[in-house]
Amino acid sequence: MSLLRGLLGMELIGTSVRLFLDFREKLASLDSALILDVPLGVISRIEKMGGATSRGENSYGLDITCKDMRNLRFALKQEGHSRRDMFEILTRYAFPLAHSLPIFAFLNEEKFNVDGWMVYNPVEEYRRQGLPNHHWRITFINKCYELCDTYPALLVVPYRASDDDLRRVATFRSRNRIPVLSWIHPENKTVIVRCSQPLVGMSGKRNKDDEKYLDVIRETNRQISKLTIYDARPNVNAVANKATGGGYESDDAYHNAELFFLDIHNIHVMRESLKKVKDIVYPNVEESHWLSSLESTHWLEHIKLVLTGAIQVADKVSSGKSSVLVHCSDGWDRTAQLTSLAMLMLDSYYRSIEGFEILVQKEWISFGHKFASRIGHGDKNHADADRSPIFLQFIDCVWQMSKQFPTAFEFNERFLITILDHLYSCRFGTFLYNCESVREKQKVTERTVSLWSLINSNKDKFKNPFYTKEINRVLYPVASMRHLELWVNYYIRWNPRIKQQQPNPVEQRYVELLALRDEYIQRLEELQLASSAKLSDPSPSPSSPSQMMPHVHTHF
Amino acid sequence: MDEIEVSLTGSGRGPRSEVLAVGGGNSCETVRSLLPRGLLNSCPAGVASCPASSCPFQSPRWPRLTLLESVLLLGPRPTPSAMEFSELIRTGGAQAKLLRGPEVPPLHGTLCVTGHHLLLSPGPQATSDLWLLLLRSVDSIEKRVSGDSGTITLRCKDLRVLQLDIEGVEATRDIARSIEALSSLESVITSFPFFYRPKGLRLGDAWHFHPPERYYKRVARETNAWRLSEVNEDFSLCPSYPRAVIVPRAVDDDALACCARFRQGGRFPVLSYHHAPSGTVLLRSSQPLTGPQKRRCAEDEELLWAVLAGARPGARGFILDTRSAQAAKQARMTGGGTEARAAYPGWKRLHRPLERGRPLQESFVRLVEACGYLAQSTDCWRSRLEACHWLGHVKEALSTACLAAQAVEREGACVLVHGAEGTDSTLLVTSLAQLILDPSSRTVAGFQELVEREWIQHEAPTFLLFLDCVWQLGHQFPLSLEFGEGLLLALFEHAYASPFGTFLCSSEKERCLCEVRTRTHSLWSGLNQPKEQRKLRNPLYVPSPLAIWPSVEPQSLRLWQGLFLRWTRPNLQR
Repeated sequence: MSLLRGLLGMELIGTSVRLFLDFREKLASLDSALILDVPLGVISRIEKMGGATSRGENSYGLDITCKDMRNLRFALKQEGHSRRDMFEILTRYAFPLAHSLPIFAFLNEEKFNVDGWMVYNPVEEYRRQGLPNHHWRITFINKCYELCDTYPALLVVPYRASDDDLRRVATFRSRNRIPVLSWIHPENKTVIVRCSQPLVGMSGKRNKDDEKYLDVIRETNRQISKLTIYDARPNVNAVANKATGGGYESDDAYHNAELFFLDIHNIHVMRESLKKVKDIVYPNVEESHWLSSLESTHWLEHIKLVLTGAIQVADKVSSGKSSVLVHCSDGWDRTAQLTSLAMLMLDSYYRSIEGFEILVQKEWISFGHKFASRIGHGDKNHADADRSPIFLQFIDCVWQMSKQFPTAFEFNERFLITILDHLYSCRFGTFLYNCESVREKQKVTERTVSLWSLINSNKDKFKNPFYTKEINRVLYPVASMRHLELWVNYYIRWNPRIKQQQPNPVEQRYVELLALRDEYIQRLEELQLASSAKLSDPSPSPSSPSQMMPHVHTHF
Repeated sequence: MDEIEVSLTGSGRGPRSEVLAVGGGNSCETVRSLLPRGLLNSCPAGVASCPASSCPFQSPRWPRLTLLESVLLLGPRPTPSAMEFSELIRTGGAQAKLLRGPEVPPLHGTLCVTGHHLLLSPGPQATSDLWLLLLRSVDSIEKRVSGDSGTITLRCKDLRVLQLDIEGVEATRDIARSIEALSSLESVITSFPFFYRPKGLRLGDAWHFHPPERYYKRVARETNAWRLSEVNEDFSLCPSYPRAVIVPRAVDDDALACCARFRQGGRFPVLSYHHAPSGTVLLRSSQPLTGPQKRRCAEDEELLWAVLAGARPGARGFILDTRSAQAAKQARMTGGGTEARAAYPGWKRLHRPLERGRPLQESFVRLVEACGYLAQSTDCWRSRLEACHWLGHVKEALSTACLAAQAVEREGACVLVHGAEGTDSTLLVTSLAQLILDPSSRTVAGFQELVEREWIQHEAPTFLLFLDCVWQLGHQFPLSLEFGEGLLLALFEHAYASPFGTFLCSSEKERCLCEVRTRTHSLWSGLNQPKEQRKLRNPLYVPSPLAIWPSVEPQSLRLWQGLFLRWTRPNLQR
């Protein structure tokens, strides 16, 4: 459907709606055509600028604010009501919720040869962790989301806690988000447990079941030391939450626990901080005092606090050999950041492409990070106070880690950027809705395509050629301000002065190197087969490339 | 009672002041250029002696030496090393603990000082090897005595800070004195490279790898407008130029002699790089000595005219002065100056001031401080980084190099770069412009050749600024450099303290005098071992014939963490 004399058009690509602009006719003198390709899901706000009486060039048209750090401004001609039509169509498709239209993902009929919905199977993931075991059991108490409507159906809880105990604990935790296992250390059996804040309130209420439950958790690995509780919030915020019925675990009530505050600020602070980052990078980069302007956004300071908190969690579990309980207020923002980052540091499996997908599915999607509210998929209310870049912040932390440990991650930067792009695009069902119960009701897995289908059917594009698998390595990134950097390739990628070479030569080179590596592996395999045949070994089982990787590395 | 004594190595020692007294007037210039390249502080030299057997005065091939030079390079007294070092070593060894930073466990053992090294030998039960530090890499030493033990803090030229806790007050004093004396020994021929004989390397290897003559011969062959001149065979025209220089074919050696007299330090305009696609060239020189009377030199004007004529008919030229117009004008008062427009038709002068000398040094010192352990707090890290202004210098250097490269590639113009002496900012611009334009200079061998050709003589921290700019290029163009950060770090280390001879001396002349090529190993032979090469190469490298135009936007330039945070960075996998 052409909207502006062939210059500006909106096309259906696949079935996902996107704004598609082709400047080729107009700017034939450019070296290469400039094509703007914006999925409509990325639009956060559409405004008309100028009126019928506006004079001057570019004073009349549309202003489009995007969720991915850019604004678009279209200058239009006043004649012919072209703006009204365009405004209406854009608004309708960018904010389908307000028009009782389905989100794009439900119209997307793309086919991939891999089904991304099969990637995460909680039972398999817990089995990989060695669960259930003598101390931890899998419970289906939340099968119909009756215990907690924002938790997944399947939970791992202490063996010694009965389902009735769980129900009683739920009454004392904000939104019934009881402490459940996220990860267990394969050797020392310490655990990372996540939950929401206790409902202590102004009167300092106590709950014997909750206190006993935490002690049961502490005892699962027979540890003598205290259970460590990390409250992600600043101390003051935790205190302030008492006024609204929340709070934190007091020393008096929880003798066998030690509580630390991690000083991470709330969703509103993060949203404002990112806004400041946008101000200094788009449309123009603040030239004269770049570094101090960047500092004044505090974005990297927040990144630092999140990483520092996750490092403490990981270190406590790994070196301190103490089980850890993590919560913030509701346990779906900061808590998800901390547990998932700590798990990424502790467990090399999550640093593979598939492992990372599972980590996101598990700690973020299934445990009810409110993607719909934080991103505002298809929703026109751009000023909604519930919106916040919490997941972006998590991905930024992952990027910081991948910079510091260039060989530790199977995926590359493109993988992380792709995830963020589709966090907004609404082309896939992966990040839709706030929690598992709603997703199930909407039959998301049946009616939409998973983002992991796209990625896993073309994995090579997202691989890091320098990846070296190191099973038991714990990563402790440096969270000092000196070592954290602004993710220029993400935050400033729309700046016209940052030349984006397409196709990206680095990515192409990565693909070449990966092909080269595969070729060597295959050659090695052949040679080994040949030599084992020579020795007439009776059981020459051809080993798979993945098994042979460590072997190959010694030869490089 | 604590006793604190800070001393900068080499400062205030007898021989140095004597030598400076000998010099005077113009010769002072020479003294300074012969002084070693200190980093955080300039550490001028003491003088030691030279083996009589190798005294070069007999051979007619050897250039004449001024009295001053012979004193500085070779020393007044005959005879060698071992004996003399032993006079300076005032200690037999002591028990000590070495702290190498917050993340590395301390080392315990016996501390000894040898002629060239500080070494810590761990006890017999220890598993770790001998720890060695080249004394020449010590930049400053701080001693603190308290009770019956002492602490020595060593700041090294590679930016490491080491702390030695030593048992015994006397032992501490002796060791500190020995380190001070030995690390400031600046006679070239008693330095470690003359004693370093690693297994597997043969003397003389690799010195022939990158002779500038080879490049010059190639250009002369290809262009027909340039010729190799031996006018500086005995270094009489320009002590800081190599024997062979490349000049326009139309200019004879006598004219060159005139030009040399018209340029500071004799650095007359010579070819730095020939850009084959456009047929134009990049030249470098020092400032013309126009003085307050605005003197002119017909030969110098002819030389630059011949450059344009040799490029192609109607070619234009740019003179890129690395000083501000104001500073260039002021230089006339002290005998220098800049080319008058009327005297050099076809040439247009541009001023792009680049900071050098003290302001650059101070910027560097501030940055090192901000990056050090002592800066415990990283509050306002970015504001502090900004205040150091080091990245500002990086930006200016890269922009100026881009300008020179653009003139050559886009405008098809010839470019002459100079500042005052033509030995620091000038080299920075010409060598960076080559990296931008010339794919072959981005290979390992080509880059080594470039360093050999352009950076014969350099002053800290301009060379470091150059390396930083190269790192920025590598960061912005991850596929374009055949070498990685490893090579740049190695060059940084070896430029300021090295067992190899490549960076010894400040000019070809001195290198000949000291027989560096026959008596020391070349750094390239060390670095070009296959085992080393693997660490120094960039696995992403893909050769490309295109120029690489760096971005100098603030978000594109970043701190070179691998260098500046190298020792404060916890043990990360690289």
